[in-house]
Amino acid sequence: MSPIRIGINAALLLFIFTIQETVISRIHLPITGFSLYLAALVLMVILENRTGAVILGFVGGLVLDLSPSSQSPFGQWALILTAISYIIAVNAESVDEIISRPVGLGLFVALGASLALIAYLIMDSLLGQPTGTFRRDVIVIAGNLFWTMLIAPFLMPIFTAFREATIGSRERI
Amino acid sequence: MARGGGNRSRLLLVILLVTSLFFITLDLRGSGATKSSRSLTQTILAPIQKGVADIFSPVGRFFSDIKNFPGEKNKVAALESENAKLKNQALINKDVAGQLKQLKGVLDLAGRGGYQTVSARVIGHGSASAFSQTITIDAGSADHITVDKTVISEHGLVGVVKSVEAHSAIVLLMSDPAFKVGVRIARNQSIGVLTGTGGNSFSLQLLDPAGDIQNGDVLFSNGSDSNRPFIPGVPVGVVTSVDHTSATLTQTATVKSYSDLGNIGVVSVVISAPSTAPKQAINPTPAPTVIVYVTPTPTPSPSLTPGAPTPSPAPSLSSSPTKKAKK
Repeated sequence: MSPIRIGINAALLLFIFTIQETVISRIHLPITGFSLYLAALVLMVILENRTGAVILGFVGGLVLDLSPSSQSPFGQWALILTAISYIIAVNAESVDEIISRPVGLGLFVALGASLALIAYLIMDSLLGQPTGTFRRDVIVIAGNLFWTMLIAPFLMPIFTAFREATIGSRERI
Repeated sequence: MARGGGNRSRLLLVILLVTSLFFITLDLRGSGATKSSRSLTQTILAPIQKGVADIFSPVGRFFSDIKNFPGEKNKVAALESENAKLKNQALINKDVAGQLKQLKGVLDLAGRGGYQTVSARVIGHGSASAFSQTITIDAGSADHITVDKTVISEHGLVGVVKSVEAHSAIVLLMSDPAFKVGVRIARNQSIGVLTGTGGNSFSLQLLDPAGDIQNGDVLFSNGSDSNRPFIPGVPVGVVTSVDHTSATLTQTATVKSYSDLGNIGVVSVVISAPSTAPKQAINPTPAPTVIVYVTPTPTPSPSLTPGAPTPSPAPSLSSSPTKKAKK
């Protein structure tokens, strides 16, 4: 991934982050809300190779760490999303067939986002941060899983087009 | 979908993981750089959130409105009848308001007893990608808001100011798992600690092992030292169930908040507490002392016979509650 593409992707992630913080978080969806940002990041990671996925995960994590409402230490999301992005990139290679279908893609993205949330909770516990009740955490993760699964297939064409528009000829080869 | 990477990606993974751990260590050691990056984000986001709040406030409750649609019809009918009653009440209140206006100048009612507050609109809610429960309000240090100030709604306690920028502030809601507030039960004045659980219910643990909680007990904030972060006497919630099975030394209970934290539009930040806090207001006034005086009244004797007994003065009783009678 070229430095220019890293910059462009970071700008896109910042834009989605702003939408997440200002618009999505204001909509009271049934069950709980969802993270458009995590869904978008997982989709972008799926489209990249392992190196690109790791960089994207790290940059995406840093952007999420900037969230003023976050109470976790700065760098926690970067650590989690770097590791999760690598895992997603490795596994996406073996499920190419499945994620080429909308339902499979939705499920894969939703699982990736949920995995990130679970890892976040585990790390919160390890760092001694309060995590709330188990029931509430399960509801948040289940709600996120449900909504992400629904929206992921609709987002995929947008991110594929974006990648095609920004990718250089060298990377295309 | 691009594939490949291998050793290079693994090396990069390790480097980036170590970098992340470095950031975490810096933050946990209290580095100002990480904190200032978050405040910068808040400064940038606040005006956007403010603009979006104006546009999206009717849309935000769209889904919950659909869910509650069948009940809305009955609600409208009930509200209409309530509205008619309130209109009558409002006419009476106009007269009372006129009297109050006169009294206000003499006694300065508005200044005494009430909290000095700054009202603010909610312009953002905590992100779903984090488990923290926060709201962003459109008032900040320019409006004399500082960190650790109590935030209340029309019904009671909402939370506490967590961070402040010039024109915005982030409020940690009482539903956040990190939120703790000292409370007292109105019925028996038992003291306990209320903790957020991440949802709509809260956990109350009494401090006194012999304390007693009952369903329906009303809780008020107990107040903090110098009224920061909590002022005393703010309604917090009501006990909905008491946990009798808990193995803890003190009793625990589940509490429902008075404020609907999911649908808050406007809040007030308490800038200063009342000069006479409720905990200091209970000064027993001494009851009037009743003093009993015994005044000897001599009875005139018609004749003095030698050997006859000397008449003793007949006592008469008089009492005065406040002043002494001089004779």
